[in-house]
Amino acid sequence: MDEVLKVANSTGVWLTAAPIVIIALIQVLLYYRQIYHAADAVNLTREQLSQAFRTGMVTSIGPVVAIFIIMVGLMSVIGAPMAWMRLSVIGSAPTELTAATLGADAMGVKFGGEGYTLQVMAVSWWTMAINGVGWLLLVGLFAHKLEDVREKVGGGDTKWLGILSTAAMIGVFGYLNSRNLMVISGPFVAAITGAVSMIILLHVAKKMPKIKEYTLGIAMLIGMFAAMLY
Amino acid sequence: MAAEQINEQKYREVWTTPVIRLGISTMLLACVLSFIPLIYLYMVHGILPPFSASLTAWGLVASVFGAFYIVEPISYYPILGLAGTYISFLSGNISNLRLPCSAMAQEVVGVEEGTKQAEIIGTMGIIGSVVVNLVGVTLAAFVGAWLIGIFPAFVADAFRKFTAPAIFGAVFGQFAMRQPKLAPFALVIPLSLLYFKAPIWLVILASVFGTIAISRIFYKAKIIH
Repeated sequence: MDEVLKVANSTGVWLTAAPIVIIALIQVLLYYRQIYHAADAVNLTREQLSQAFRTGMVTSIGPVVAIFIIMVGLMSVIGAPMAWMRLSVIGSAPTELTAATLGADAMGVKFGGEGYTLQVMAVSWWTMAINGVGWLLLVGLFAHKLEDVREKVGGGDTKWLGILSTAAMIGVFGYLNSRNLMVISGPFVAAITGAVSMIILLHVAKKMPKIKEYTLGIAMLIGMFAAMLY
Repeated sequence: MAAEQINEQKYREVWTTPVIRLGISTMLLACVLSFIPLIYLYMVHGILPPFSASLTAWGLVASVFGAFYIVEPISYYPILGLAGTYISFLSGNISNLRLPCSAMAQEVVGVEEGTKQAEIIGTMGIIGSVVVNLVGVTLAAFVGAWLIGIFPAFVADAFRKFTAPAIFGAVFGQFAMRQPKLAPFALVIPLSLLYFKAPIWLVILASVFGTIAISRIFYKAKIIH
């Protein structure tokens, strides 16, 4: 295992993990530039664009701290460069861990345990890669077809399109919450407190628009600490 | 600010067409780049994953996640839009990071849901989150172990266990405020399916498209508007 981690943490692996991370960065920079090109065509001001960018940054701080902590755990099993690569693109930590474990399973070895050789690690890497490609490939090939579907379903009724996106959002988050609402536990408390705080904060933000950018971050912290006290 | 003032032709030229071109090329390039570490392992250490085990592992992982390759892009599309979908599926962490950041950006700027402005503002919020995400994981790679050492254990633990549930609750609260009549359905559908041990991919599909179907019925009946 020590020898495996030595290879997994080698400079060479850093260099081979970097290109895909760089692509993720280049992609957002190019879209950023494209948004500035398109802004006039949809009557958006520069101020609104930077406000959106800032809000995205502020809102992401809490979840990114969580990813940071999870990643440190992942580094000890798959090495720093792979953890960095897999958490910069495509994967969330549970997905990547599952894929890496299934790779070891296919070799009949316990993930990160006795007999986890370089060859088993190679299968773990392969499994994480081929799994990620599933999403990349389908989105790359078919996402623009979904736009056609959306336009057909929307039928030019902008009001209905708005309700459709809201309904989709409520549906997705209804599902994401449902797994935490099956039993009364820490996550249950976090979800309920998070929801109640967010509703209160958004009402407060109507009078104090300045705090709107921070509402989700604050609601997250309140939910988190309520769960700790539980 | 009216959506119908937007010149469709121009919009396609400055947005849709370049977005698709950029999306397809970056996604396919990322597919290829995913395998570079494996090529390195072979070139430098002479290690190749055995063929049959690789096929087995592929089969295993596809049986666990395969349905999600299709279900997730379809379910998230109405929220993320085209550019948002390309970025989110390359950068990952969709439910805990991209969706909330897209929603908050739209909330703060105050754009009308489902419009072209909403799509672009949401995309901008996602871009902001990707930048912070990349900085965060790069820091974790270099100073993570040391930082975790000075973090009180119970705080790190709370972040690990409770950030996702708290965010999911908060975003649900945010949208339940907009359409309170839809919120109960969005919880009852997945809870009952989970109770009957339905497969997760089905639970996602049913939650999203069940809620959309109910919203359509309510919209037609003028119960919501």
